Amino acid sequence: MTNMTSKDAILSALQNSAAKVKAMPEINIPVINEPLIPRFEQSLATVTATLIKEDGLNALNQHVAELLAQKNQVMSFVDGVQGNRENPELPHQMQDIDYSVLPGKLGVAENGAIWVELPQAHRVTAFICENLIITLSREKIVANMHQAMKQLDFSQTQFGTFISGPSKTADIEQALVVGAHGACSLRVYLID
Amino acid sequence: MSSAQTKPATHAHKAEIFCRDEQRVNWHSKALWTLREKRDRAASQVPEWETLRKLGSHIKQHSLSHLADYLTEFESNCIANGIQVHWAKDAQEHNQITHNILAKHQVKKLVKSKSMLTEECHLNPYLEQRGIEVIDTDLGERIIQLAGQAPSHIVVPAIHLKKQEVGDLFHEKIGTQAGASDPTYLTRAARAHLREQFLSADAAMTGVNMAIADQGGIIVCTNEGNADMGVNLPSLQLHSMGIDKVIPNMDSAAVLLRTLARNATGQLITTYSSCYKAPKPGGEMHVIIVDNGRSEMLKDKILAKSLKCIRCGGCLNTCPVYRRSGGHSYNYTIPGPIGIAVGAQHDETHSSAWACTLCGSCSFVCPTKVPLDKIIAHQRYLKAQAQTLPYGKRHYMPLVGKLMANKTATNCAMTVARTSLNILPHRLLKPFSGAWGQHRELPQAPKASFDTWFKHNRGQK
Ligand code: SF4
Repeated sequence: MTNMTSKDAILSALQNSAAKVKAMPEINIPVINEPLIPRFEQSLATVTATLIKEDGLNALNQHVAELLAQKNQVMSFVDGVQGNRENPELPHQMQDIDYSVLPGKLGVAENGAIWVELPQAHRVTAFICENLIITLSREKIVANMHQAMKQLDFSQTQFGTFISGPSKTADIEQALVVGAHGACSLRVYLID
Repeated sequence: MSSAQTKPATHAHKAEIFCRDEQRVNWHSKALWTLREKRDRAASQVPEWETLRKLGSHIKQHSLSHLADYLTEFESNCIANGIQVHWAKDAQEHNQITHNILAKHQVKKLVKSKSMLTEECHLNPYLEQRGIEVIDTDLGERIIQLAGQAPSHIVVPAIHLKKQEVGDLFHEKIGTQAGASDPTYLTRAARAHLREQFLSADAAMTGVNMAIADQGGIIVCTNEGNADMGVNLPSLQLHSMGIDKVIPNMDSAAVLLRTLARNATGQLITTYSSCYKAPKPGGEMHVIIVDNGRSEMLKDKILAKSLKCIRCGGCLNTCPVYRRSGGHSYNYTIPGPIGIAVGAQHDETHSSAWACTLCGSCSFVCPTKVPLDKIIAHQRYLKAQAQTLPYGKRHYMPLVGKLMANKTATNCAMTVARTSLNILPHRLLKPFSGAWGQHRELPQAPKASFDTWFKHNRGQK
């Protein structure tokens, strides 16, 4: 499988590298002392996502009930929230999902990114839905990306993603359009 | 390339054509400057910004100076995670490996998300000639693919096109309403059109923003979600990366993820920063590690630094020459300052290295402190050494060197220049001022040189 010759050729060419040798720097960025939730909320607003801070699961269940009443296709992976669709065999069968409801593992205040890692779901679940809903424990918000990497354990990770807001593009004359190929909206529910 | 083929035009010539439409140039320049302003706002909101730049620079330089170790570590961790790793010395081998994998799985349609490396390798035509349909899925990339053009920017590839042009193109190719040019309408139409492609693709391919050595995984960043939509539907996924993409660990990635999007478009972070560390259940994941001239650049201490680049595009947005000459003038896949730094050796016209005023704005904004102006000056030096100075410069540059080295001669020459500027009609002198003078008035020369003025006014004190 691996073509040893090209690997060897590349590695041996690297022996002649003249790149100036640098030691790995110590990454030691002090955390800005500020309340995390307001900052997280502000970041989410910047990326056109909505944060629901109060009444967590109740508020979410109410919202989902409305969505179901409006005949939306809802798939939930959050305990205590029931949608109307089961996890299908093939990821392609999720193409008509209106709402995916997923648990987030960790939120980052500085940029609104939420780490989503869900081995029991198809990987496309967070992307193929028209709209995305993520729940996040309010204890699981950290200040910045350095903290996030420290807190997360990637040893068992197969696939995971930081999601910051709905998908967007500005490829036509720099005009921001929310809703490119991934979800067109994002709501985040804080739970206790 | 065989010499029988006609040579491409020089940067100055292509820029001259681009500049004929003054309104368009102004529009282009302003669009890019807006990105630069957004970048400034985003950077100023991070108090530790300069520390992050320094860290980013050190992390990348450290990785580059230990590249063989990190690549080996990356490969063995990938293999342990069930990822198949391939090595390609050059573009040709990269394309062959890709085609072999696709052919083995009888792939008819490949969805691709943005990757400057596959552009560099000219993968699309290679696969198309072998009967594989390739669909670029980033909106900007899809636009230029439908238009039959090359990207003119590494982050916003269709920045040179106006919405009316995109509207006309979409009308012709994907059936949008004639005359419609509203960006939201066009984007929605592209979303629907590309959904079908995602759902019917047999395989997906992406570039790599960062390869994490100690994880044996890769990080891919997009705003549109096209990489993740593409990769996560079919069972086969491929990722191409330059050898320069590997970094030690996730802590290193944190530093670069904090600056990448802020510096590119002024965003806090890209919408999606996805980490792929294993094939999906029942699927296959391939990573192709490509050299294609990078180990050669590493042999030159100065050129080596250009490999610290994380492709944010910030140096393009700020560059006064790029903004006013367009991405298609550079005779290389990557335009702008970083394009000159990594691509001047591929420019047969030997002119792109001079598409720079050495103002240094690019080096100032770079999140990994690539010393772009120094590298570009070095590229000129290499051209001079290889005796490949562009026509004109070849004849006068050695003289300029001698002249400037001699103080008396320089002073005499400057006196002649000042006198000529004042007494000769400018239309006689203009041909000597090159492209610079074509649309400008020549300056009024001062009566005395700075040297004389200084001696007279300050010298005695
Ligand atoms: S050289 Fe620096 S500023 Fe330019 S694209 Fe690369 S990382 Fe960005």
